[in-house]
Amino acid sequence: MEQNTVLHAQNVRKSFGTRGNVQEVLRGIDLRVLKGEFVGIMGPSGAGKTTLLNVLATIDRTTEGSILIGNADISRMKDRELSAFRRDKLGFIFQDYNLLDTLTVKENILLPVSLGKMHKRVAEDHFKSIADILGIKELANKYPHEISGGQKQRTSAARALINKPSLVFADEPTGALDSKSASSLLGTLEDVNKQRGVTIMMVTHDPVASSYCSRVVFLKDGKIYSELYRGDKTRQAFFQEILKVQGVLGGDSVDTL
Amino acid sequence: MTLFDLVIRSMRKNIKHYYLYFFALIFSVVLYFVFATLQHDPAVVQQSGGTMGTAFKVAGILLLFIAGTFVVYANAIFLKRRSREIGLYQLIGLTKGAVARLLILENTLLSAGAMAIGIGAGMIVSRLFLLLLMKLVGFDGFIELTFSKTAVLQTIIVFIAIILLTSLQMLVAVRRTTLLGLFNAEKQGEHPKKPKAVRSAFLALLGIGLIAFGYWLSGRMMNVFLFINMLVVLATTITGTYLLFRVTISWLFYQLRKRKQGHLGLNGSLSIATLMHRMKGNANSLTIITVLSAMTLAMLAGSYSLYYSTERETRSIYPHDFMFGGYGDAQEEKETKQFTEELDRQGISYLYTPIEVMNLDGQFFEEATMTKWLPQMFSVNLVNEKQLQQAGIDIEIPDGRTAYFYDASVYWLMKTTEVPFSVKLTNPEKELDVSITKVKEGNILNPPFAGTQLVVDDEFYQEIKEQFINEEEAHRMGTFFSVMISDKDQQAEASEIYQDFTKENDRLNFHYYGQYVSTMQYTGLLIFIAGFLGLVFLISTGSILYFKQMTEADQEKRSYATLRQLGFTVQDIMRGIVRKQVFVFGVPLVIGLLHSIFAIKAASFLFMSDITVPASIAMAIYVLIYLIFALLTVGYYRKTVKAAL
Repeated sequence: MEQNTVLHAQNVRKSFGTRGNVQEVLRGIDLRVLKGEFVGIMGPSGAGKTTLLNVLATIDRTTEGSILIGNADISRMKDRELSAFRRDKLGFIFQDYNLLDTLTVKENILLPVSLGKMHKRVAEDHFKSIADILGIKELANKYPHEISGGQKQRTSAARALINKPSLVFADEPTGALDSKSASSLLGTLEDVNKQRGVTIMMVTHDPVASSYCSRVVFLKDGKIYSELYRGDKTRQAFFQEILKVQGVLGGDSVDTL
Repeated sequence: MTLFDLVIRSMRKNIKHYYLYFFALIFSVVLYFVFATLQHDPAVVQQSGGTMGTAFKVAGILLLFIAGTFVVYANAIFLKRRSREIGLYQLIGLTKGAVARLLILENTLLSAGAMAIGIGAGMIVSRLFLLLLMKLVGFDGFIELTFSKTAVLQTIIVFIAIILLTSLQMLVAVRRTTLLGLFNAEKQGEHPKKPKAVRSAFLALLGIGLIAFGYWLSGRMMNVFLFINMLVVLATTITGTYLLFRVTISWLFYQLRKRKQGHLGLNGSLSIATLMHRMKGNANSLTIITVLSAMTLAMLAGSYSLYYSTERETRSIYPHDFMFGGYGDAQEEKETKQFTEELDRQGISYLYTPIEVMNLDGQFFEEATMTKWLPQMFSVNLVNEKQLQQAGIDIEIPDGRTAYFYDASVYWLMKTTEVPFSVKLTNPEKELDVSITKVKEGNILNPPFAGTQLVVDDEFYQEIKEQFINEEEAHRMGTFFSVMISDKDQQAEASEIYQDFTKENDRLNFHYYGQYVSTMQYTGLLIFIAGFLGLVFLISTGSILYFKQMTEADQEKRSYATLRQLGFTVQDIMRGIVRKQVFVFGVPLVIGLLHSIFAIKAASFLFMSDITVPASIAMAIYVLIYLIFALLTVGYYRKTVKAAL
């Protein structure tokens, strides 16, 4: 395995339902994510985006195939090991933030390192630098109900980054935000990706959001349909390319409905 | 689909939320029915001459009050839980009236079901309860339980009233809510505010201070202001308890959390943070639960202690099985003979001992004695230790020239008096100071002769007799005749003979066994009622805490899902939740226990014997049942956390 591969999925299949009524949502996906990439996953509704993310993020199990994150084969791990793995190696950003209402911004952010492997002073330093980058230092002692959606998502992002994960999964992170907060958040994620070298995998249906990525993977009917690399293109140009592919994809899905 | 179908479906779907409520409801019905049955049971009425019936009536009203409050409270919790469902019905076009009808129909079916099952079960178990009651009051004849229509009717009427009440509650709830509000009701919860530094700190400390003051005062109530003191103790502890839950605990949590500076940790996030979030809403119910727990515990421990120590206490007041006697004439000796001859005829073996008693005037004169409370002058019965030994009473022998003080009627006052102290023995001509080295519990002669008794050794007795008694004073000498039954099992028989005998001779009826039986009846009834009220109360408060926690668990399901996605295992999360439950169940219990311990301590002057053992047993049982509810709650949380991801 190459040194700089963060995630390597081979022939990943996932079916739901019982015998006689099986629905295959993922039909053999091969995907390799390199360190420092910012990968967007797009596709029409029902293409299996969220299922793929759940499977890759160890929240759900595959029916078939193997997934390596770093050097660990997560498809062979036990539940308890998976939990520990998620806590230590992965970060999550959710569409509806999933902050705990009863905790302040700072307490929410520090939650993933709360089982004590990290020294308190180190955690404090991490918190300061991350809160600085995400611009939420002033909010540390506020409760989620006191801050805006954009600020909540930044808090959620900070929580995903606090344990220096090797891979961050984002599920429609801009889905609940207005366009200004969304682009501001995506800009920050791009910065984090470029400056700190954090690998990010983001599921989205918004072409604007995916234009911030370095690569966009299109899913259709549980398979990879195509891939686009941004390379040196401007965001605008990349956006246009994405739109083209999405037009083809989206048209099909409308027909099949 | 008719409304009725809808009701059946929703009930079937909601059964897992209901079953505990349903059981609690059935349980209330069963107990109420049992009480109603016993209240009207001819055997009970006859056995007690009506007093038991009245006791059950009062207890029934109290039970009704507890059950009613519980049902209304539980109903309110369920209404809130189901607000989304109610909102959904309205959203799909049901009118408010139809929704109310649906809920009321459901409630009626549920309650009627509980009532039917409860009465049925009540009929089966009421016989068991009657047997238990009769055993407790020491009656062992044949008991036949009659089916009481009045009891059934009474139960039905009462629970129909409760159904009407809850229906009204639902009607009001449905009418007053808006669609939007209904959908949000489950999310509502207050957000912790930063407490105002000075005011909160003051109130927080005041809460602790008030409780401490109440405890302190409870140990010093015995003076002329007894009644006012009692009210002050009640007021300060209850206010203190409320402040404790409303301010002190939040304040302490806030300080603790502030010091963590955001590094709260998973356990803290799941315990302190969520508790702080809901403390304001929970303060009232926790206060009520704590105060009522304390009252129930005190009642239970008190009545159990009374029951537990009946035999000992009666024996210490009536050390002899039977006693005849008087001063001067010899009439009693003849009567005693009649009685013992009758015993002989019936084949009851006994020990007969005449005990000589010298009656003198006594006087307290030292500062430390209870002269403030007791008249300075009193009548003393001087008894020779040797004769008491002969009568089969096991006593401690005082040292030469000193005496032991016995008087059951003032023991509760005298037991704190410092020994040794002196009393002056007088007759019109002589006086003698005698040193009292011990105040002993109970009597050494039976009432009504007992009075204040001083026990001295043989040598000292003869000396005093020589000094005080001459021909003029011969009327001060008396003889009491002690009759002790050798075989314990023949006590009842002997008692009957004695009662016939006293009736014939027109004498007062005072004897150990008779007193024992009537005390047993009284305390047995007390423990029966206290026990069942306590049980009902325990089950209602336990269920209410359980329901509240169930609701909280459902509200926090999303948090658990997030935590598990972040990589915390079920075990990690449960550790925090268990901490929270230790607090939710433990704090009201511990404070309630503390309150009740001080209450029992304050009331301990009522008891002659040490009540640590029975009070501890009663409390241990209470704690055990409470623990079951805590375990049920933790189980529900575990299920919720497991299902969250």
